[in-house]
Amino acid sequence: MEENSDARGAVGEYKAGWHDPEKSTIRFDFGLSEEVVREISNLKDEPRWMTEIRVKAFKHFSKRKMPTWGNMSMLEEIDFDKICYYLRSSESTKKDWDDVPEDIRNTFERLGIPEAEQKWLSGVTAQYESEAVYHSIREDLESQGVIFLDMDSGLREYPDLVKKWFCSVVPYSDNKFSALNTAVWSGGSFIYVPEGVHVEMPVQAYFRINAKNMGQFERTLIIADKGSSIHYVEGCTAPTYSTDSLHSAIVELIALPGSHIRYSTIQNWSSNVYNLVTKRGIAHEKAKIEWVDGNIGSKLTMKYPAVILKGEGSHAEVISVAYSGAGQHQDAGAKIHHLASNTTSKILSKSISKNGGRGSYRGMVTVSPKADNCKLNVVCDALILDEGSRSDTYPTMEVANSTARCEHEASVSKVSDEQLFYLMSRGHSEEESLAMIVNGFFEPFTRELPMEYAVELNQLMALEMEGSIG
Amino acid sequence: MDSASRYLSMEKPDKADHLWRYTPWKKVHPTGNLSEIPTLGKPKISLGIIDGSDLPSGIELKQGDVEEPDFSMSSSLTNSFLHASAEGSQWKLVVDKGFSSEKPVILDVETDDLPSVAHISLEIGKMSEFELITRVTGHSEWFGLLRTGQIQDGAVVNDVVIGLLDRGTMLRSDSIEICRDAQVRAGTVSSGSERTKSDLRYIMSEAGGNIRVLGSILSAESMHLDHHIEIHHEAPETFSRLSWHSACGGSSRTIGTGMLTISEGSKGADAAQIFHNLLLSKSAEADSIPELEVMENEVVGCGHGTANGPIDEEQMFYLKARGFDEDDAKRSLIAAFLNSTLSEMGGKSLHEWLVSELTLQLEALDA
Repeated sequence: MEENSDARGAVGEYKAGWHDPEKSTIRFDFGLSEEVVREISNLKDEPRWMTEIRVKAFKHFSKRKMPTWGNMSMLEEIDFDKICYYLRSSESTKKDWDDVPEDIRNTFERLGIPEAEQKWLSGVTAQYESEAVYHSIREDLESQGVIFLDMDSGLREYPDLVKKWFCSVVPYSDNKFSALNTAVWSGGSFIYVPEGVHVEMPVQAYFRINAKNMGQFERTLIIADKGSSIHYVEGCTAPTYSTDSLHSAIVELIALPGSHIRYSTIQNWSSNVYNLVTKRGIAHEKAKIEWVDGNIGSKLTMKYPAVILKGEGSHAEVISVAYSGAGQHQDAGAKIHHLASNTTSKILSKSISKNGGRGSYRGMVTVSPKADNCKLNVVCDALILDEGSRSDTYPTMEVANSTARCEHEASVSKVSDEQLFYLMSRGHSEEESLAMIVNGFFEPFTRELPMEYAVELNQLMALEMEGSIG
Repeated sequence: MDSASRYLSMEKPDKADHLWRYTPWKKVHPTGNLSEIPTLGKPKISLGIIDGSDLPSGIELKQGDVEEPDFSMSSSLTNSFLHASAEGSQWKLVVDKGFSSEKPVILDVETDDLPSVAHISLEIGKMSEFELITRVTGHSEWFGLLRTGQIQDGAVVNDVVIGLLDRGTMLRSDSIEICRDAQVRAGTVSSGSERTKSDLRYIMSEAGGNIRVLGSILSAESMHLDHHIEIHHEAPETFSRLSWHSACGGSSRTIGTGMLTISEGSKGADAAQIFHNLLLSKSAEADSIPELEVMENEVVGCGHGTANGPIDEEQMFYLKARGFDEDDAKRSLIAAFLNSTLSEMGGKSLHEWLVSELTLQLEALDA
């Protein structure tokens, strides 16, 4: 408890920062080796091809240098030998909340997950440490052939489907952290939406790290077959400890012709979590992929949701917001590769830095020589709320086709005195006015979220703005 | 440690190093042997007035040793290499306090066939007011130009570098400090060498500094023109604008990367940068990376933008409807596109001179 309050002092107030006593059924020692990788695979009774790919990825991870860009000083603080790579707190994935161990169930009840499921979700998966502890999907969707499983069950029940698509969008050799994830992945979601099926209400996954010095490496694979659609929502929290944890996930989206995938994330890790995530989708003919990405928590986030526009007429959108407070660096952005003709894309990035936080937009947009008549638009806006905070923009645009129309614009500013004056002259306090301006600044993002999330985000931002004045 | 030892002791950059991502140092180095500082020739450098009239007093070009400048804000790899290799080819352009010239001053840099290099130190006195053109011509297969120095308090200077080498590689590095209340327009016209790598850095170290950085870049055939521009706001009430226009034809590639930094304490800074790329052929490529690092919240504004596109069909239609043939209409639109930055680089006589130079390049392109 004392440790927790010290840590809270160090990283600031954080609503989801409490933790439960750690009760694990299996916990690996700290550190990573080929033996650990094989043991994880063995424990899960995986097919041989998966064990082999894990070992190859581990070897690549061991050889691969840390990135030579981004916040290298923060990255160097990660001690891979002081991380637990696998921790199981529940014997199996349950289909009924009542069967989930009580302490874990309490955690998710405090986070409001069962309530949300009843109200507005088509399905839920809840992951605690390395494994999914709860999983359910609406019966009508199941009867239409929609597969929504945790990734381990997906591999067990649909090995051919997983084998076909696993690592097809993010190869393990993509970067150091994709290699790490592929070596030690556990949990995550596996979704297949059959041809022509529209999943009307969102499905949700909730990821919670509870233990100290824990690494969470979930792996999500979503395949939307021809003409189908799905909206996947992901939320993340962790307790506030004085030592750091690592979250390094991979998300692969495959949008087959005419399909639509929307992937929404609100990342609210405590500010002692390194959030180093690779998210990428491939859009085939006339398919659409949207990333709606909110980064509120974590110590260092490096996350650049990407879309490869492979099929003619496909479309990508990335809408992201980032809030950087004390000791935080949100290095987020987007990558879009136009490989086919008549493809279009849009990136909107909003960031706020406060109390010495640092927000960076890092993006890349490419148009290949064969991709005719592409259109793309990138807009980045940043607000710096006080002295000592920082905002960076690092966009890259590579255009190798003369028919492309590409635009990028970015601005960094402070909150306008005129706007503050206007609101205060109508009776709002300075603090309320600032919170309203910030919520207004984030509005293009919040309007893309399911209502419950939008309300939550507005409240969260209002809390973050408390004490901003004076 | 001298420049040569410093260069030799440095780790050589790889592609992950942002500055060398598109044009690796190995391709720019005169021999490709990175651990070598080869002996290079020196170009002919002369100072005059663009209409051939006499040079007024108060401005002088002196050959002699230039002390190694502080490269902490610039690429020490390029600058150490250029400074070391320019031993014996170092010059100072000394401009007296209060110097003024109505006619543009021209610094002609003429290269011959051999690889050559020059280091020119600009010592621009307080309150001076003039326009300077640095014109690089010749057939050198490799030419390196290092420009360092200071534009002192209150000086008003239009400084244009025009690269017209007819082949080979040009490596240019500028590291210029802008002092209190100095107003600078830094223009670059690039339409020569097959490969250009330039690294232009302007440091506004004192309050009230004001700079407009302008580029008119025309690339054709298989040219590869890579310009990196950094503007650093290190003091309050500093102002900068960067406007970079590249027209890219044939199978050429232009790269424009910018870094704009506003350091903590630079209150009232006002900065913006924009890259425009006009793609003239199917196999041309234009890349832009306009970067921003803002560490001060009390700024007037700070923004950047980039836009790529083909020649506007509506504008083509408009001109053709008024009797222009396809080629004339296209040429006019390219000229207008490049002229929008060219016209900002200086006064009327400088502009007319630049237009005449660029028209020759456009005609050569047609031929």
